[in-house]
Amino acid sequence: MRLLHLVNGGEDLGRSRWFWIGFAAVILALVALPLYQTEFEASNASYYLLNIPLALGLSMLWGYCGILSFGQVAYFGIAGYAYGVIAGNLTETSWGPLVGSVGGLLLCAAVGAIFGYFVFFGRVQGWIVPILTLVFTLLLETFLGQTAGYQWRIGAVQLGGYNGMTGIPPFQIGNFIFQGYAFYFFALSLTVAVYFISRVLMNAHFGKIMIAIREDVLRTETLGYDVRFYQLGVFVLAAMLAGLSGLLYVQWGNYITPSQVGLLPAALPVIWVAVGGRNRLLAVAIATYLLNWINYTLSEAGNQYAPVIMGALLLLVMLFFPRGIIVAIAELRWPWRRDVTPVSVQDRSA
Amino acid sequence: MKMQPAISTVNLTKRFGGVIATDGVDLSVSSGEIRCIIGPNGAGKSTLFALLCGIHAPDGGEILLGGRDVTRLPAFRRVRLGLGLTFQTNRAYHNLTIAQNLEIARRRNSARVDSDALRRYQHAIGLFELDQLTDLPARALPHHQLQWLEIAMVLAGGPDVILLDEPTAGMSPEETMQTASVLRTLNGMGLTIVVVEHDIAFVREIAHRVTVLHEGRIFAEGSVAEITAHEDVRNIYLGRA
Amino acid sequence: MDTLGLLASILYQFGTNAAFLLLAAIGLVVILGMMNIINLAHGELMMMGAYIATIVTHRGIPFPLAVLLAFLLVAMFGAALERVIIRRFYGHELGALVVTWGISLIMGQGTLLFFGPFMPSIGIPGGSFSLGAYSFATYWIVLIGVSAILIAALWWIYQNTRFGLMARATMQKAAMAEALGVNTDRVYMLTFALGSGLAGACGALLAPTVSISPLMGQQFVAPAFITVVVGGAANVLLGAIGSSLLLSAVKTPVGLLFGAFIGTVALLLTALIIIRLMPNGVSFYLQRFTERRVGA
Repeated sequence: MRLLHLVNGGEDLGRSRWFWIGFAAVILALVALPLYQTEFEASNASYYLLNIPLALGLSMLWGYCGILSFGQVAYFGIAGYAYGVIAGNLTETSWGPLVGSVGGLLLCAAVGAIFGYFVFFGRVQGWIVPILTLVFTLLLETFLGQTAGYQWRIGAVQLGGYNGMTGIPPFQIGNFIFQGYAFYFFALSLTVAVYFISRVLMNAHFGKIMIAIREDVLRTETLGYDVRFYQLGVFVLAAMLAGLSGLLYVQWGNYITPSQVGLLPAALPVIWVAVGGRNRLLAVAIATYLLNWINYTLSEAGNQYAPVIMGALLLLVMLFFPRGIIVAIAELRWPWRRDVTPVSVQDRSA
Repeated sequence: MKMQPAISTVNLTKRFGGVIATDGVDLSVSSGEIRCIIGPNGAGKSTLFALLCGIHAPDGGEILLGGRDVTRLPAFRRVRLGLGLTFQTNRAYHNLTIAQNLEIARRRNSARVDSDALRRYQHAIGLFELDQLTDLPARALPHHQLQWLEIAMVLAGGPDVILLDEPTAGMSPEETMQTASVLRTLNGMGLTIVVVEHDIAFVREIAHRVTVLHEGRIFAEGSVAEITAHEDVRNIYLGRA
Repeated sequence: MDTLGLLASILYQFGTNAAFLLLAAIGLVVILGMMNIINLAHGELMMMGAYIATIVTHRGIPFPLAVLLAFLLVAMFGAALERVIIRRFYGHELGALVVTWGISLIMGQGTLLFFGPFMPSIGIPGGSFSLGAYSFATYWIVLIGVSAILIAALWWIYQNTRFGLMARATMQKAAMAEALGVNTDRVYMLTFALGSGLAGACGALLAPTVSISPLMGQQFVAPAFITVVVGGAANVLLGAIGSSLLLSAVKTPVGLLFGAFIGTVALLLTALIIIRLMPNGVSFYLQRFTERRVGA
């Protein structure tokens, strides 16, 4: 039952029986979605869901480990483009999408590892990471934007410059192609799986080390931990999760443009995580779903104020709800949990 | 067969800008010893600890842990080789609970912690009264118990040598003596202790030997009686030297 | 025979690259040095200065006055920002980063909504001259001079004025300075205003050389941040000088051979390498060097 302890560890919202009943009800409602929503609406819900891994990765990186990255979307783009190139070139075989997905994730891990090596093994000051990750994603956007010419192709796939890459193959396993409702279930299961794995990870010893690093790097180092190694590890993990979201995105929409790694998309994960409550995974997941839903509803209604509203929301949250709006709401309901950081259940060995 | 000193330095030197913080220090602490390091403010005591632990890299000289050269090793490696350090300003995780503090301190690879070290740790937890109210956030603890928490955390890693930087600062005389008593007990269980301290009663209570630091150099070394009778030592404290 | 022209051209490129980096970064550097905060709205403050100068110049006000106006207005805006928002985040660097990013979003997107995507630009004042086959814009020569003067002026302010003294005291030990009667709140506000004003002025100065749009701040952000990262926080003015010279020494040859974009990429790579080898930036070593010279 160690796994049960890890799931209920306390580094995320909710542990009681009532919580899990509510959680199960929500999952049930999501699973039953095709019964009461059209395929188009399910497709929208897929979009809200697929951004959650990206947000969870940033939450673990920033909320739990204290490393702020403004450039997670860079990995979103790297994975998306990599998948487009690989799967686009392997169209004769049905394994193309799978290979492309693995390739996208590996590329994210590699780039994240190299970037992280320079940053964490140099033991730089805290503000350097957000700056350099932002610069990286901006440069990536500029680079991808100027790949318009015909010479900018890998194999048979055009990079496409500012117009981006189109005709990206959907995901398939064997002869089964994931589209419409099928894709929705695919995205839902992946998201729920990623959520649970993250939750267990943060409740496990690894999560404790993350928090220790966030609280006091020097103390953690002098307790015998190779802090650089853990920082690199969570950075690569977050990069891969961002990449996972990128993969799902291109498999959902079949296209990707350089603007996906631009300044505004770079701000969005930070907003989702801040609004939810950066050190509570479930709050982040909820906030990501809701904010994407709000964003879509606003822009569908022709509202161009969405970016300004997002910026204002970020300001509001940082000024008045520093622990996150979702977390603040959760703590209203259970006020006695407010002061004490919840204790890990595993330590109650007696 | 002579046993290696638990921790020692050879001609250790460190400069910060134009200031020589550590000036050719040759320190040697035997295994099982309690060494107190005293000296006026600015003598370089905390810098010495930072060098021993690997927080700063020295400009010259060597540091040896149990006879093994650790000069080039980063801090976490030295800790894994059996060194522990507490800081002058308390560095337990104030926002986390006592239980979380101790859990983090008990590293996963604690297969390496030998039974002696484990007994020392458990003994300390009992004596420091840290086995109750573990859900309390560390910052709710009274100051002296927060200091004890940091010591216990350091012990959780199973070190053979610990460096304590002014552990009794801010404690009442009773708490200070209680700390001294616990440290003596732990020392009797095999722990080598190097303490930077200002409290002369504490030093008298526990020190086997005393090292006096002044302007980055070892000014004098000897037993408590020898040092307290040493007129020059009194002078440097009064600013006459 | 054209080697003189070639040499002059390379020197000119070096100078303009360094000047661009310095002007892009100076506002950021002043704030970083004082509060240890990276103002992510820096690009938008430069944009604001560029917009003010452009609008005002199109109405006939002479350009130098436009730059001054940009400085003053953006400085006041910065002071307001500091009072209302920024000061709640001292001691919380990452929080300050995030909040200034929110401000930058609002400013950038807000300008887009209000002014639309385009704004007619100002032509480059002054003409150009040639040496052999190479031509040089007089304005850039002026900008090189201006950036040198700006650094010198800041140095003078920090070393020789009362404000500078209070500022340096606050930078070193704010609590102590406060105890000695320095109004540290006022120092922080004035510093933020100064940094913002400089950003605005530099935005105005660089406006003739770029196209004006609501998101134009973005093109300054990457170079400014890289300059600041390489410079480090140990001594921000020394760092800014050293960093812009070093980075220009990288960007000039790379840019000449491979184009401007690759040049900027080379800057990022340089920054990564520098922080790996010198985590505290070049200013740390420059400072130690000057301390040794002075015999501290």
